[in-house]
Amino acid sequence: MDNYLEVSNLSKTFPGFQLQNISFSLPKGYIMGLIGPNGSGKTTTIKLILNMLKRDSGEVKLMGLDNISDEKTVKSNLGVVFDSNYLCEEWTVAQAEAAVSVFYKNWDKKKFSGLIKRFHIASAKKIKELSKGMQMKLMVACAFSYDAKLLILDEPTGGLDPVSRDELLEILAEYIEDGEHGVLFSTHITADLERAADYITYISYGELFFSGSKDEFVDMFRIVKGGRGELASDLDGKLIGARKFSTGFEALIKSEDLKLFGHLDVEPATIDDIVVFTNREGD
Amino acid sequence: MNDTLKAARLDLALIRPYMRNICFTMAIPVAFAAINRSLVTGVSFAMCFIAMTAGYTFSVSEKSSMDRLYGILPISKKNLVLGRYLYTCSMGLLAFMFSIIVHPIVLRALGTIVQPADICLAAILGILMFTLYTVFQLPGYYKFGSINGRIFMYIPIVGFLAILLFVSELNITNNPVIAALAGNPIAAIIATMLVCVIAYLLSITVSVKIIRSKEV
Repeated sequence: MDNYLEVSNLSKTFPGFQLQNISFSLPKGYIMGLIGPNGSGKTTTIKLILNMLKRDSGEVKLMGLDNISDEKTVKSNLGVVFDSNYLCEEWTVAQAEAAVSVFYKNWDKKKFSGLIKRFHIASAKKIKELSKGMQMKLMVACAFSYDAKLLILDEPTGGLDPVSRDELLEILAEYIEDGEHGVLFSTHITADLERAADYITYISYGELFFSGSKDEFVDMFRIVKGGRGELASDLDGKLIGARKFSTGFEALIKSEDLKLFGHLDVEPATIDDIVVFTNREGD
Repeated sequence: MNDTLKAARLDLALIRPYMRNICFTMAIPVAFAAINRSLVTGVSFAMCFIAMTAGYTFSVSEKSSMDRLYGILPISKKNLVLGRYLYTCSMGLLAFMFSIIVHPIVLRALGTIVQPADICLAAILGILMFTLYTVFQLPGYYKFGSINGRIFMYIPIVGFLAILLFVSELNITNNPVIAALAGNPIAAIIATMLVCVIAYLLSITVSVKIIRSKEV
């Protein structure tokens, strides 16, 4: 089994929002970034993967198993970190371990206490007394303590300071080092992905925009910059998204159209540029 | 460990910080029994009070957004529900054991002699009342949550008053079925057990259906 996560034609309709035919796969040993602006369907996709929402159609396989018919086996090998704490706030770290560990056959107490020490989490403190960064690390420690094969993180870095974000990315890099684990990492802080992700899945307004390697994704686009009047009107249609100023403009184009813009300044696009400009739809 | 037991243990862990309050709640019915010099009153109040704490697990889990934890644990929704019923019934059983042992001792110390028939009647009424309250409360909490469904916390009080009214207004002791059961304690105990099992089976079925249709 090469893919730890396979999502095929996943769809879900809510009043006012539709997630349509999302398909992507994550090979084991890699980190995939799930990106898109707020409300694009990232969390819906994750909840459908976790069977917390009922899908309208499509299929989800985790480690080769169906996420609904083999739910228990799948979830025994799955670690999840949400954007905020999901453990009882009144528990101490030790009480949280006692409550959660019974659900996992291969929970390793030594590993958990080692991780708690490594992450500098005060085990006597109540969870509500821990900082957001510490709460996030506690959820990571839980997932690592039963050797979850696949880690799913839903906007984990949202409220973290740069030091905590950096630490998390280091932890994830270590986690996939042995080639036997995988990470699906939803975020809108794309700088994290520039550093950590191998693959990108980009969802925009409920539709799949791209899924593939990060390098391929970044190489697909370029940023062009020019002064006022430097952009011929016939090229306007080739701009995926543009930002116009009184002195000039900058825009995102497809790399395949690059020769049409040879007279302008061209720069490589960042993931952030791609997400921002593809959602501007030309000004 | 069985999945239902694991879920019940998780619920117990949720209310651990509130255990002192619950224990204090159990002390109040002792006073009721002493003031009224009645074991039936004391046990009925104890079961009414403990049923009122049935929503604690829902409140605590709602406060900490624990639906997401339940969504990622390797356990079926049915077992989560069964675990909550097991926890609730265990709390009811503990309250029942406490009141059925402590109240007669207190009454005896105050000079009121408690007959075995009183104990039998108090036990049957207490268990029936607790069942009646919780079989409606738990599906209500599952459906509406602890905040929107806070009205379900008052079911035991309303139920207790309704039962008092029912007994006094309808002169229930003259009912032939009740009279027959009163004359045959074993039949009364079996009938109580049967009613409780059927009521819980129906209640669990409804709760499982609610939780399966819910999206987190």
